Amino acid sequence: MWRYLVDDIKIDKLIVAARWPLYLTALSMPLAVFFGLILALMRMSRSRLLSWPATAYIEVMRGTPLYVQLFLVYYTLPQIGQALHTDWLTLDSFPTAILCLTANYAAYEAEIHRAGLEAVDRGQREAALSIGMNQSQAFFLVTLPQAFRIILPAVINDAIAMLKDSCLASAIGVMELLKVAEGIGKNSEVGLPNMYIAAGLLYMILSLAFYFLGKFIESKLKARGGAELHIDAHH
Amino acid sequence: MQSTEHTPAAPPVEAPTGEKILEARGIHKSFGPKQVLKGVDLDVAKAEVLTILGPNGCGKSTFLRCLNLLEQYQQGSVRLKGELVSEGRPENHQPSAQEQTDAQKLRQRVGMVFQRFNLFPHMTVLQNAMSGPKYVLQKSDEEARAIAEKMLRKVGLWEKSPCDPQTLSGGQQQRVAIARALAMNPDVMLFDEATSALDPVLTKEVFKVVRELAAEGMTMILVTHDMDFARDIAHRVVFMDGGIVAAQGTPAYIFDERPTEGIRKFLEKG
Repeated sequence: MWRYLVDDIKIDKLIVAARWPLYLTALSMPLAVFFGLILALMRMSRSRLLSWPATAYIEVMRGTPLYVQLFLVYYTLPQIGQALHTDWLTLDSFPTAILCLTANYAAYEAEIHRAGLEAVDRGQREAALSIGMNQSQAFFLVTLPQAFRIILPAVINDAIAMLKDSCLASAIGVMELLKVAEGIGKNSEVGLPNMYIAAGLLYMILSLAFYFLGKFIESKLKARGGAELHIDAHH
Repeated sequence: MQSTEHTPAAPPVEAPTGEKILEARGIHKSFGPKQVLKGVDLDVAKAEVLTILGPNGCGKSTFLRCLNLLEQYQQGSVRLKGELVSEGRPENHQPSAQEQTDAQKLRQRVGMVFQRFNLFPHMTVLQNAMSGPKYVLQKSDEEARAIAEKMLRKVGLWEKSPCDPQTLSGGQQQRVAIARALAMNPDVMLFDEATSALDPVLTKEVFKVVRELAAEGMTMILVTHDMDFARDIAHRVVFMDGGIVAAQGTPAYIFDERPTEGIRKFLEKG
């Protein structure tokens, strides 16, 4: 069994390659959450100058496949760059993957942020204002921390989805887990199906790690009082 | 539970005497086509305790929220210690940065206690009570903590300071909310149906705190549905009906003489 794993499946190479989905997700997901918040605030703004572009961005990004976005950024942008006589639009495969995962997931995180912010009781903001906080204090000290607790499970869920979506980066040449598994399968007698199973299991182990990380953060926050906990009012 | 033999603790006064803390003039407020306040005038003197009564929808809560600009009213003005602190603005007026700062400054001087407490659930009891001095007055942690301790002791909940608010009873939560508002050392405290979400036992413990504040000379405006309490604690009772102050006077005048048809109807129903 051990010989099979090491000699045929080359598990050591797979485990090394498994760092790529981790890197891609660990870099792109926090960025997506950050830009998602900005998009959500733009979309919720009363100013159409802000809300309309945010809405358009979110719908375009959610409405087109990540695969297509990766190809456009990796192959088409450099061509446009050539026409404009600049190298600025030519990106390596890894930065391209980070950019596309961030840009794509920011659209989803924006909608999650919006739902979370709207779920925080209006009275919280009013209480913050009533003791004399300004608008941004009320937002950053009172509303946002509570919204974050509400959206955390959804964000972890998306992080797991991104982990698996990151295998699309192999299409533009990132030597990540799936690509490496395919390479081993093509050049040995193990066969592609077995390699896909091996890669799939590794993705699952990574997903579980994210799942437990999420549970851990949630329990930490719960210990400090959950946002869904309210009052024992008789109304 | 009509207590007719009850005599008010304070001498009945018709109009506020002494230094005026708050002067509201001709407050008009509409929500779209619905006119909720139709010109409310009200003066409150230093250390006066005033209760506002009235049927549902008479605008008493809205009026209270206009006083600290949680609602912007359309016409009229509010003075705090003689200083003009807010004025009517058109209904869809977008407040300028200066107006927002002015509103913030006003709210620092006007404490408010809400029906649903609105304690910050992600902060401990102590952090809730510290939040005003720390974040708004920019005091050091030590100073903010000292103020919070004093206020939590005042409401009898210092021993709960490390707890999460949601582990407390409703009455305790409301007392923490009072401490949080008091920590800003406000000129006047507004109570917006502060006990409507509580059962009678918990209501009592909140009333006890309010009574102590009254004894210390805190100026307070209370919107309440609790008639016995309104009568017991108030120096003056204001009866609002249809968006105006329909009658006002000593508790004895309002509750015993029932000067208008509106008051008679309201008190008989209650």
